[in-house]
Amino acid sequence: MGAQETSSYVAQIVSGDQAAVPAAVPVTPKTVDVNGTRVTYHVQGERNLDHDPVVLIHGTSGTTQGHFGFLFPMLAVRHKVISPDFALPVDLAGNLTLEHMEEQVLAVLADAAPGQKVTLVGYSLGAAIAAFIAARHPERISNLVLLAGWIKTDTQQFLFNHVWRTLRDLDDPAINEFTIFGAFGAPFLATKTLAEMARGAMPLDRLVDLQMDLNLRVDLTDLVPAIKARTLVIACTYDQMVPRHHSKALFGAIEDARYSEVAAGHAVVFERPAEVFRLIDNFAARPDAYPAGSIIPAVKP
Amino acid sequence: MAQHQHINPVPNDTSVIIVGSGFGGLGMGMRLKQRGQDDFVILERAQDVGGAWRDNDYPGVACDVPSHLYSFSFLPNPDWSRVYSPGGEIHEYLRHCARVSGLFPHIHFGAEMLAARWDDSSRLWTVETPLGHWRAPYLITAAGVLADAHLPAVPGLEGFAGSAFHSARWDHSVDLQGKRIGVVGSGASAIQIVPEMAKLASELVVFQRSAPYIIPRLDRHYTEAERRLFARDPAAIDELRSEIFWFGEYAFAQRRAIPAFLEEARVMALGHLKDQVPDDTLRAKLTPDYELGCKRVLISSNYYPTLTLDNVTLETSALANVDGGRAVAASGQAYDLDILVFATGFEVTQPPFATRIFGRDGTSLADRWKQGMRACNSTAVSGFPNLFVIVGPNTGLGHHTMVYIIEAQIDYILGALDYARESGTSVLEVRKEAEADYVQRLRERSQGTVWLEGGCKSWYLDPGSGDLTVLWPDFAYAFRDENAAFVPEAYFSPAEA
Repeated sequence: MGAQETSSYVAQIVSGDQAAVPAAVPVTPKTVDVNGTRVTYHVQGERNLDHDPVVLIHGTSGTTQGHFGFLFPMLAVRHKVISPDFALPVDLAGNLTLEHMEEQVLAVLADAAPGQKVTLVGYSLGAAIAAFIAARHPERISNLVLLAGWIKTDTQQFLFNHVWRTLRDLDDPAINEFTIFGAFGAPFLATKTLAEMARGAMPLDRLVDLQMDLNLRVDLTDLVPAIKARTLVIACTYDQMVPRHHSKALFGAIEDARYSEVAAGHAVVFERPAEVFRLIDNFAARPDAYPAGSIIPAVKP
Repeated sequence: MAQHQHINPVPNDTSVIIVGSGFGGLGMGMRLKQRGQDDFVILERAQDVGGAWRDNDYPGVACDVPSHLYSFSFLPNPDWSRVYSPGGEIHEYLRHCARVSGLFPHIHFGAEMLAARWDDSSRLWTVETPLGHWRAPYLITAAGVLADAHLPAVPGLEGFAGSAFHSARWDHSVDLQGKRIGVVGSGASAIQIVPEMAKLASELVVFQRSAPYIIPRLDRHYTEAERRLFARDPAAIDELRSEIFWFGEYAFAQRRAIPAFLEEARVMALGHLKDQVPDDTLRAKLTPDYELGCKRVLISSNYYPTLTLDNVTLETSALANVDGGRAVAASGQAYDLDILVFATGFEVTQPPFATRIFGRDGTSLADRWKQGMRACNSTAVSGFPNLFVIVGPNTGLGHHTMVYIIEAQIDYILGALDYARESGTSVLEVRKEAEADYVQRLRERSQGTVWLEGGCKSWYLDPGSGDLTVLWPDFAYAFRDENAAFVPEAYFSPAEA
């Protein structure tokens, strides 16, 4: 039952095929203006006041719908959830930077949760952004979740990124297969057919090009030790885009960190969304359940 | 009590009495054995272990949860023949569990629990059975939720000229070949029985009150190589169990009524219907009129094709009455039949076993549950000291495996027994307020789910209160996260008890 359902979910949501699957997030998003750039964000579960609001930061080529189609509505049952869709800054001269993304997140926070501390959840590039913000604005971030994040781009990531860039410059359709190959864990792909995965490629546009370029330049070495928030680091066992040694590095570098692992590839939000939900929901509700330094065991059904 | 005392006036004393030998009772016994505890009995009303998998031996019976997950974590089975094993294989697995765990010497067959009474002065439970009485400080019921057959009251049925029986009490002496057969119901049992009956019947009529949602059953054999790998590398089973478990958990987003996920599942189910039933009229009859998940979502790839066969008729109303050899539907349509199979489910919301258990003040559990089943952590009932109910209130799952829930309940009970021993208390009685708090949280959590909002009449809801008393209204993992650990604070302290 689950296997079939997950495959269609992956095919439809990864491709961002809005016609095939109705929005799991509210139909009326809000917007804020960030120096002339309109940034869309989603907010739901406003009446859930038991815990700090949860802010979701998507990764490269993502949106709230694309990366958090499962997490956003499910978390909103118990938490106030806020999730921006990153926008290409108008009049961008030069590279996209973490500062640009930080600016958008802070503007959304000012609008949706003014003066409140939040649980900040970042996925992939979103984890780099979240760590960046947590280090520079500790007064806003009570809890931090870094899902498939990293401190400093390393050789393995350069190699992947360079091949991706080459295919992109060649306008080679093999970029889709290459992305799927990199994004999904081998055990997950073993249960799927090529046809089922054919629509699983990530969308391509100028913002994605800029995000992929930013991925090359991430270096939080000097900032990460400044993170004071209670932190949950989640690694993906079969991740080929941000292999788990990066999460272990974060686990070592952040003072108040605990660590857990999900048996999935980088596309963990599609492969094991419910397992990720459990970790985030439990941590956001009871961040002190595991002391700093803990390795949180996986559910053994 | 008196009428059985002549059989054995002296009760058999033991430490723990377990009632039932299905997944719940056997699992409890296995874990006690693993901990080196030998002083317990399992009372079983039938003549074999296996619970629902012993009773349900109808043609076509199989499980809707992949077998590698639908088995004990502490006794995995590398030899499952298929993704979804036939019922007989699951029954055999349970016998195997009892055998290798050394449980058979503890099991008393034919020992139906007729009454169980708590005695406050001796602080003991006494269970009366046709074989005599057993007495112990602890009573653990694992009597099952799909255990007592539900038969609708059908006027004239007693005068039916042919054979009639319930799906869980299959009469294997009846020759079905070439007969005119009616199957009453279109739930999980019926959709497995109907394809088998169509192979034998000259005519087959299916009485459907309401159409189920059905998704494809992607079943297959495990190869010999796969089975050998499972035997050689237990980690391979663990990985598969995790994979199945989290795929299953994904479906909870549908039950939580998140529109995108409901729509996705609806598209799959209705697409499956369209693929298998090209005829518009028949397809309309098979299209549900309520939200997906409100009733159990069924898994079958051979039910719909069966209904397209020439010898099969789908009657879209209930069986109203029987007149000699004629079965008359509520629509007025009448069918001449030789056999009537009632695939009409079980007594779930008000389980019969609860009428036989009497607590501290002599009240029956059924009376306590008149407004709906309730228990703290779904396991302990106020006013019923030292009683633990396996597969009781709010333990069912609309999307996942019961074995996972049962194992969590066993952990809770073992925690309770440990606490009692370590604290030196002989009475564990849960506080009424703790029970009320727990039930209240579940009622709140149930709001907005398809079970309450889906516009259907299901056996998940208590008919009196309308509350969701059968299902756990959350992810399966949350049951274990919240209910596997014994919490002494929910109980009267030894000084108060």
